[in-house]
Amino acid sequence: MPNIPQSPLQDGSAVTDADLVALLAGKLDVAPGLLPVADVLAALSARPSLGELAGEARALAEFRRRAGVPVSRRHARRSTAGLTSRLSAKAAAGAAAAMLVLGGAATAAFANMLPAPIQRLAHDVIGAPGAPSAPQPVPARGKPTAPGQLASHGTHKSNAKPHGTSRHPNRHGHGQPGTNQGQQGNGEGQQGTGQGQQGRGQPGQPGAGQPGQPGTGQGRQGNGRGNPHAMRQYGDPHFLWQLGDPHVPQRR
Amino acid sequence: MINEEFASLLAAAQGGSEAAFSRLWRDVNPALLRYLRVIAPGAEEDLAAETWVQVVRGLRSFRGDEQAWRAWLFTTARRRAIDLARHRSRRPEAPLDDVAVAQLPRTEDSAEVALEHLSTAAAIALVSGLPRLQAEVILLRVVAGLDTESVARLLTKSPGAVRVAAHRGLRRLAQLTADTGVTL
Repeated sequence: MPNIPQSPLQDGSAVTDADLVALLAGKLDVAPGLLPVADVLAALSARPSLGELAGEARALAEFRRRAGVPVSRRHARRSTAGLTSRLSAKAAAGAAAAMLVLGGAATAAFANMLPAPIQRLAHDVIGAPGAPSAPQPVPARGKPTAPGQLASHGTHKSNAKPHGTSRHPNRHGHGQPGTNQGQQGNGEGQQGTGQGQQGRGQPGQPGAGQPGQPGTGQGRQGNGRGNPHAMRQYGDPHFLWQLGDPHVPQRR
Repeated sequence: MINEEFASLLAAAQGGSEAAFSRLWRDVNPALLRYLRVIAPGAEEDLAAETWVQVVRGLRSFRGDEQAWRAWLFTTARRRAIDLARHRSRRPEAPLDDVAVAQLPRTEDSAEVALEHLSTAAAIALVSGLPRLQAEVILLRVVAGLDTESVARLLTKSPGAVRVAAHRGLRRLAQLTADTGVTL
């Protein structure tokens, strides 16, 4: 019978699980039959050769390129960028809100829905309609109206005609007719000016009234929407004379 | 393995310290190359470099201990090797010329180191003769220093399957060394 040499490990039972666990743990006190395996495993985890460390420069270059920036600088850059974006976002939001508010205010102003002082301001600034106000009584300074005195105011409305240099109709002719009428009619220039200021601001044709006829009192009962400042300015015959308004009588 | 210093080294590397990153690289790269030499022979250098590129990209967001760090590296390397194998299967290449062993650059002149590397190369050759799963398990357990659970996650196997593969691989290695009379 041939003597066939048999490996000592041919029988699997020669190696126990504990031996294998010890091998994997790197322990050298294993069964004598496993010592060559222990040598193999030790060779697998031997110290590195120079060839295995040759790629360090390449890896470091990649590290430098992608992650070499110090954290503080990177955070600073990121925080600056974030601040900028946050600021720009805030600025954009603020601008949008401001535009919304201004647009709404302008719309309200042109709809004549603002409180009287603000409406007057809007009238001055953007030419919105005049501020509404309660009908004002006849000025205390005015004398009792006599026939002919108010006739000029009666014509105030019927002969409306825009004129002047401004494009806004409400800024034209406020008080001009009254002023003129007052001066031309019965000399109540003071009151006539006041009436014109309180009128609805519809320009009238100066001199259209019929002296001596009873007026309708419309000018006196005006709703007072006119801009007192503008009307005062335009109603001033001297001012209109300076503007060269042909309807303004020349000073004598 | 770096052990206690690992956390501080990782934090420093994540903060941009080249020295810390170099230390981490030197600790893992040899094991990475040995592992890749078994699962993707001939492409280990390129795959290791690609692995490190990917690791550097995700370095700042990495959180974990040294086991997790090594598991991440070897998982990345394994995926790169699988990608390469797929690519090669789609576009097979035939090398034009083989470089003679005598022409390979030799930078080590120490006889002891040469013998050591020779034994390392022989050990890698022996392990390469094992079935793929057994070879991978032994390399990941011994070379990469991963525990059974980490290897199981990496290979998407159960821990029991990993243990069985490790034991079978070791038995097979023992048989091979006994049969061939290999001494390292």
